[in-house]
Amino acid sequence: MSSLPEFVIQTRGLSRRYRTYEKNPGLWGSLQGFWNRKYTEKIALAPTTLNIEPGQIIGLVGANGAGKTTLIKVLSGLIVPTNGEAKVLGFTPWERNHLYLKQMTVLLGQKNQLWWDISPNDSYALLADIYDLDREQARKRVQELAQLLDCQHVLKTQLRRLSLGERMKMEIIGCLLHDPKILFLDEPTIGLDIVAQTTIRKFLAEYVKEKKPTVLLTSHYMDDIAKLADRLLLISKGKIVYDGTVNGFSQKSKSRQKILFSLREPMNIPLKLADQEFATGTLQFSVEVTDEQLPLTMNQITLLPGMTDLRLDPVDFEEVIHEFMRGE
Amino acid sequence: MSFFRRNWAFCKLAIVTNLEYRLNYLIDAIASPLITAGVEVAFWTAIFTTAQFSSSQETIGGFGLKNYLSYAIWASFIARISVNWMYEFRMIEEVESGSLNTLLVRPMNFFEYYLSQFLGYKIVTILLSLTVPLVVTILLELPMIWSHLLPAILLAIYYLIFLYILSFIVVTFSFHLTRVQGISVAKNLALWIFSGELLPLDIFPEPYKSWFLFLPFSNGVFVPVAYLTGRVDETALWLGLKSISLGIIVLGLLAVPLWKLGLRQYVGTGA
Repeated sequence: MSSLPEFVIQTRGLSRRYRTYEKNPGLWGSLQGFWNRKYTEKIALAPTTLNIEPGQIIGLVGANGAGKTTLIKVLSGLIVPTNGEAKVLGFTPWERNHLYLKQMTVLLGQKNQLWWDISPNDSYALLADIYDLDREQARKRVQELAQLLDCQHVLKTQLRRLSLGERMKMEIIGCLLHDPKILFLDEPTIGLDIVAQTTIRKFLAEYVKEKKPTVLLTSHYMDDIAKLADRLLLISKGKIVYDGTVNGFSQKSKSRQKILFSLREPMNIPLKLADQEFATGTLQFSVEVTDEQLPLTMNQITLLPGMTDLRLDPVDFEEVIHEFMRGE
Repeated sequence: MSFFRRNWAFCKLAIVTNLEYRLNYLIDAIASPLITAGVEVAFWTAIFTTAQFSSSQETIGGFGLKNYLSYAIWASFIARISVNWMYEFRMIEEVESGSLNTLLVRPMNFFEYYLSQFLGYKIVTILLSLTVPLVVTILLELPMIWSHLLPAILLAIYYLIFLYILSFIVVTFSFHLTRVQGISVAKNLALWIFSGELLPLDIFPEPYKSWFLFLPFSNGVFVPVAYLTGRVDETALWLGLKSISLGIIVLGLLAVPLWKLGLRQYVGTGA
């Protein structure tokens, strides 16, 4: 494969299949499985061709088991693909060349990557030795990043004694210590409360603005994607079903809006607005409409007696994605 | 340079991690060898008391009580050095749980990461645990050749590299089979016999004795202890060195393709 310098990530027909063992239920199933195991192959990633330019922030979105993490694992060199080729920064990831590993980072939100039994400061000192960084510079960088994430107070505490949010902040510092050119972030905000999510999202936004790394980000929180990504990859059953901008996606999917209003007195007959029915007695209404349905529906609503608090909201990006995925 | 830097850091990591749990470490390094020494003294004293009472025997297999006590005390010390079940289980767990991911994405390799930790932990523990057999030997005036102590310990440490590669091979099976703790336990039981921890290998009849002594496993316990207590001379030590070196080459040649094959199967579950 000819490697074009304008792309930092290039894949051609990259795919991965897993072999899984299927067991019949119960004791008899276990006995049968002991002698005669039935294996099935599951396609985790269908042949995928991708070109990613330097500095792009890619949001990788899909349901559980869609193949997002598999793609990240292959590109970061964690697993070997079944077929296809890939070059990341000119390296074949699964050869795990140390020069490549020094230029990238992976954050697996569901896994601890720092050392559980020692303090983050000890972990960072170890990382400085692993990445062959200048100790003093690494220490300063830790202080800078900890200040931005507002977590200097826990740097000396054993990792296992920290809260989930604090641990995630520590993991992020560990990932960025060596100034990677490529960031693979798999669910960096998973399980965190809204405050921690916002802090990390803000921090990542500032970091990518300043350092301009290439980022491949997966998240269950669409806000992460909508606020950080400038390119969206939608993945379903191992296939990329959409590749474009976040805005382009919102426009491509039927543009929808939400009309919200209230009634002072309940209606005594059921109400039908934009193909949605509302039972008698309803006082608060939320009507989803397409651009075409909007004028007529607005007209209907303004004629309702006692109508108040009328407003128009865009439908959540998350809802648009979910609707698109349901169609896939 | 970066190779030595990171491996020295892994060595220190093992020590720092163990010192986080002080009581557990002290029990492991001091109390356990002390209890083992007590049991060995009681066991061999009881055997000789019974032998003397029933048949007025002063020796068993040509060796007296103090010889057996010396062998047992030093065998239990060297045997504690020559085991790797703790790190082997941790390594298996890394593959089984998918936490290997965090090591694979860093500029280092799994083999060196655990080898350096293993050796770092062992060397510090040896220095601490050594006090127990030394005190018992002096107090009970057990036969031992003091000038043989350092070569015997160095041989046991060299054997650790062979033992570690053996563990590494067991770990590669977990890529395919997931749960391999059963294999690990069976291997450790076999080592218990072949290393001479259970019984001195020179009391076995021929040809078993020669076979056992020819294998590198005998250098785990029997050869260093026998050398230390005067049962064998330098020839056995040099043969041991050769046997371990050959074992390292053979297992090393096996370990590389097995690891590569394992990584092709690896799915990084749990992430």
